[in-house]
Amino acid sequence: MDKYSRATIREFMSPSNIGSIENPSGVGHITDNADAVELTVYISVEGGRIADMKYRIAGCTALIATLSVLSREVLGMTVEDAFALDMAYVSRLLDGLPESKWRCAGYALQALQMAISDYRSRAQ
Amino acid sequence: MKKIVYLDNAATTPVDPAVLEEMRPYFSEQFANPMTYAHSSLGDTAHTAVEEARKRVASLINARPEQVIFTGGGTESDNWILKGVLERASRERLHKPGHLVTAEFEHHAILHSALALERQGYEVTFVKVGRNGIVDPDDVRRAMRPTTVLVSIMHANNEIGTIQPIAQIARIAHERGALMHTDAVQTTAHIPVDVEAMGVDFLSISAHKFNGPKGVGAAFVRDHESLYPFVDGGGQEWGLRGSTHNVPGIVGMGRAAQLGRERLTSEMKRLTALRSALFEKLASRIDRLTMNGDAQQRLPQNLNIRIDGIDNEALLLAMNEAGIIAAGGSACTAQETVPSHVLTSIGCDVKEAKASIRLSLGLVTTNEDIDYAADVIPGLVRFLRSMA
Repeated sequence: MDKYSRATIREFMSPSNIGSIENPSGVGHITDNADAVELTVYISVEGGRIADMKYRIAGCTALIATLSVLSREVLGMTVEDAFALDMAYVSRLLDGLPESKWRCAGYALQALQMAISDYRSRAQ
Repeated sequence: MKKIVYLDNAATTPVDPAVLEEMRPYFSEQFANPMTYAHSSLGDTAHTAVEEARKRVASLINARPEQVIFTGGGTESDNWILKGVLERASRERLHKPGHLVTAEFEHHAILHSALALERQGYEVTFVKVGRNGIVDPDDVRRAMRPTTVLVSIMHANNEIGTIQPIAQIARIAHERGALMHTDAVQTTAHIPVDVEAMGVDFLSISAHKFNGPKGVGAAFVRDHESLYPFVDGGGQEWGLRGSTHNVPGIVGMGRAAQLGRERLTSEMKRLTALRSALFEKLASRIDRLTMNGDAQQRLPQNLNIRIDGIDNEALLLAMNEAGIIAAGGSACTAQETVPSHVLTSIGCDVKEAKASIRLSLGLVTTNEDIDYAADVIPGLVRFLRSMA
């Protein structure tokens, strides 16, 4: 039986950094009707490092908890390092996220990567 | 201890203390095998207890005692009836693989049995279900073939609680020479279940859905000659279901059936009022909230609602943190992230299905429980919607 860790429940019940950023450096947006997910990630980048991350989310517990923990974890990270984060890493931050939830929680990383790509295309 | 408001009675119910009391002697004191009754006074006591339980269950569904066969639960009854009837009628009467008619929104005990039969070469038609969650008898009529040997439509759906026109469907089945089964796991001891009024040939029951113990159920079998055994063994249950009787379980089921019969009218009235109050309060406090399934033709204890813009898994976890236990789909699919097949069968899209929760009331549900749920759930919905 796949069960959420207390850390996951805690993140989900009091998520960090919900909201949006005015004049973001990059935005990533995902809508997936099959998974009933709608998600927008905003980042601001300063000197090649992520200075802020915020998000708006309608989705499952795993995705909300992942976004919450990720929004703190990426602060100060280079965009390259942030882009390379994977679910195994995120799962450790949540004291273990059931693997059956990785696909859905993975939208958080996808949206972050889209925001970083958006930042890179704007920077060019 | 943290307050727990249990609104998942469609998944299972607590054993009634009076039921447990009646079961207790049959573990260690009256432990004998009922099949030894002819030469053993202990066996005779156990045998008498099993037969008394059989009478009580029979009385609950207006059957004759010998038409009640004890099984290991509702799922076993469903498996046995579908497979036992299809196999026997196909081999002995049709001399070719027979046809089963059932519905898309059946419990997995039926759906997966039907798919297993298909794999073995039998034919199955899954009738579609209307947006109101009710099977149209005319759709069943259109699905009938000369080779149809069994029609199996649930008495009430386990997720949305909609009650099906079983008597009408049974008439159609019989007109075409087929037998009729209904899975009455959600209805027995909750609304009137009368095998004669419904005109069914088979019916499945599970004890733990009406405050009896888990691991015991029954099948109503009108004619013992209409199906092959499923569990072959030592000749118990007229040779229809081998295995030493689960005496404490059967005794508990009998007591639960008796109590259920006594309480039926008052509980229907009480739970209908509580369910309506819960729906009205939630609907007045949460916008974009809809009831899934017909509002009238439904079980008193079932409320299934769709709350646009929320994910049911997230809401259920937040409710659990607040001490309210409910369900998304059925308990049997709780570990999956796929949307409910019941809700998609009545025309909900994936997003709507994943925005739906089932609140199921029961004997243990109080007015205070309903007030607490109606006070707490709206705040949790606001919390989730505020993230979007």
